[in-house]
Amino acid sequence: MTAAHIEIDQVTTDVLIAGTGGAGMRAAIEARRAGVDVTVLAKGPVRATHTRMSGGRFNAMSGQNPTDNHDIFFEDTLRGGSQLNNRRLARILVEEAMDRAYDLESWGLVWERKESDRYLLAGSGGGTQLRMLGSFDEGIGITEVMLHVMRGMGTHVAENHMLVDIVFDDAGAVTGALALDVRAGRWKFFQAGAVIVATGGTSQLYETNSGPALNTGDGIALAYRAGAELVDIEFMQFIPISFVFPPSIRGYTLTEPPFYGTRHLDINGEPGHLLNTNGERFILRHDPVRREGGTRDVLARAIMLEILEGRGTPEGGVWLKPDPAVAPHFQRERPLYTKRILENYGERAARFEEAFQVMPSALYTTGGIRIDPWGHTTVPGLYAAGEAAGGVHGANRLGASSMPDIQVFGRRAGLTAAAECRERHGDAGQGLRWARSRAEALEGPLTRDSGGGPAELKRRLQNLTTTEVGLVRSAAGLQGARETLERYRAEELPKLRTHGSTRVLNREWMETIELENMIDVLGAMTAAALARTETRGAHYRQDFPDRDDDEWLANLYVRRVAGADKAEKRPLVQLAASASEVV
Amino acid sequence: MADTMTAHVRIFRSDPSSGEPDRYDEFEVTGAATMRVLDVLRSVYEHDCHDLAFQYACRIGRCGTCGVQVNGKPVLACQERAIAEMTVEPLSPFPVVRDLVIDRTEVEEHYVELDLAPQRSAPHAGVIDPVEPERGRAISILGSCIGCMICVSACPAVQDRPFDGPAFMLQLRRLADLPADQGPRLEQAIEHGMLECFGCDACTQLCPADLSPADAIRGFRSEVLLGRRRGGRRKENSNGN
Repeated sequence: MTAAHIEIDQVTTDVLIAGTGGAGMRAAIEARRAGVDVTVLAKGPVRATHTRMSGGRFNAMSGQNPTDNHDIFFEDTLRGGSQLNNRRLARILVEEAMDRAYDLESWGLVWERKESDRYLLAGSGGGTQLRMLGSFDEGIGITEVMLHVMRGMGTHVAENHMLVDIVFDDAGAVTGALALDVRAGRWKFFQAGAVIVATGGTSQLYETNSGPALNTGDGIALAYRAGAELVDIEFMQFIPISFVFPPSIRGYTLTEPPFYGTRHLDINGEPGHLLNTNGERFILRHDPVRREGGTRDVLARAIMLEILEGRGTPEGGVWLKPDPAVAPHFQRERPLYTKRILENYGERAARFEEAFQVMPSALYTTGGIRIDPWGHTTVPGLYAAGEAAGGVHGANRLGASSMPDIQVFGRRAGLTAAAECRERHGDAGQGLRWARSRAEALEGPLTRDSGGGPAELKRRLQNLTTTEVGLVRSAAGLQGARETLERYRAEELPKLRTHGSTRVLNREWMETIELENMIDVLGAMTAAALARTETRGAHYRQDFPDRDDDEWLANLYVRRVAGADKAEKRPLVQLAASASEVV
Repeated sequence: MADTMTAHVRIFRSDPSSGEPDRYDEFEVTGAATMRVLDVLRSVYEHDCHDLAFQYACRIGRCGTCGVQVNGKPVLACQERAIAEMTVEPLSPFPVVRDLVIDRTEVEEHYVELDLAPQRSAPHAGVIDPVEPERGRAISILGSCIGCMICVSACPAVQDRPFDGPAFMLQLRRLADLPADQGPRLEQAIEHGMLECFGCDACTQLCPADLSPADAIRGFRSEVLLGRRRGGRRKENSNGN
């Protein structure tokens, strides 16, 4: 088949947004408000997003806890991030979070309250204050109210459209993006002056993960291929406690130990206890002060080390012993979690009357595409927000800080893209030619007669990531992973094929495209993890087990140069000397 | 754990774009005792039937995208326990894209038509919107509807009469209870067929989110019979002001 035979539909829009989680929808709402034409792509159904799965907890300075203030929230964020956070982004998060919480309220989300005008504030892992808002309907409520507002504003929503690559003209200007309409099996070239990547993270790289099946790091990978820099990509956040069984739910988050003890409502209270199979409260060896109320990085690593060193259960977990006195609060505040515990671990566990098994699980891609405070990436015309972007959270994210992040920076990216989309006019004809040749290459798996399907390679890739680029890393393992990845890229990817030749909803076809993305992101992650010769936040090197502030109070940026992943160390991004960033 | 159960599963296969007739393919999946229906489908896809079209994302009953019929009953594949003999079909009465995946275009159009963003009399003031805690909680419970269309699939009135379906009534009820919303939600509910409901409660019995669309509909019905109780819960305003 030659390029001329590939059919590509052409669609023109001002701002193209990929992703219908919190960041993508927030960007769409803001761009529509600015009066431009907005098209939003959902890789699957519009509700199949990571935000939807979230507990929806939201750190914000409501002004209703008199002992809390912006500076404390900022300090908590930096301490949680092991001091690597981009200060400008972190400060904006702190200052704008509450306005975005009010936006959600104005769209009909009802934050839980103890009086009609007093929010119920709670404490999250790593936070030193009660500052967390929440609602019964969690991420479902957040995404649902946003969806209704976004649709009501006349945003074009294209479901089952997978963003494949950013499209440039011959002069290197962004002219839009190539997408695959998975439902129709047709290629589409979206001609746009601005493209926002809000496709979420890459938790599917790991065998045990807490994210949606569609989050294979597509947006991070295609921005990276388009020349964008990634930052802090070595830091993959694991939720410390998730379900261990049954298989369907293994890896799904159980949030954090503070919820299972009195610390949830009293910042000086006791979190739920973690025990190994000897009955030892092992966290006291790792974090004697914060105990199980510490940050996710320390907790997840401590649990994983217990399991690796043979003090875990046969099923691969440790025990969480909740406080039965807290059960009525938990049931009232987190009924959706109570339901999962009841269905999978039984009634006594749901009543907190017995300990149950927990394990760490890949949750959140802490780093990602480098952005400035207005969502610009290092590629003009390409913007990013949400979990796909990096820098806000440094080396580890505080619990309940992803929800404000995606609202705050989703809005900012939407504003910027709307303001700038009409400044740029790439050559659409050249863009279409480029898109056509890329689409042609991706038709390969449909037409090959031999070779394996993607499922088997995906499993091997997930195993490689978990073993060598997971919670416990070393130079030898990372180097080996790099070599394996090169082999996958050179020898295995080009031979993948789909067993059926239908173009309509061909899952194997989509998975072969995902695999290239996963390999690209993992390449960048591995390069950064190899370069960072210390242990910090979510990044643990067995061969460099200590934090090294002399050498490594710095960020790593990764760029693809002539096909190779190049990691570069640069100084931290400090606050601007003068005026506030907030608008 | 010894797991000796083998699931025998018949799966509906259809590709309207191909012109081929619909059919059922049969598969066996071993070790199914702890599986959900979704695990069975994933196993069939990975091992036996690489071109099966099915849909899922979250695995935990939140995204609402894996609805299917198992032995004639509409369920979420990720929540329903696998049993030894299963026939899996797409949710009715929706058009099929391929195999187990339905076309939700019309469903999404219904949501848009209902204009479910709150219609506020004044913009949000940037301070907390007063809502009584218990009432706020009741609203948020309705807010946890996942939009899976299990209730619409199960509803006999949807099949026979001009009724959009229980899920949409639940969304309208949520807004009717939200103090900030001034939209004509009762009138919308009537216009979209609320009075056609048989009151059979099938929606509530099958709701995977443990919600009661039937109660939402009853709330609207009592407003029709007893007068509007905007802004109030039933007990507070039963005199119909």
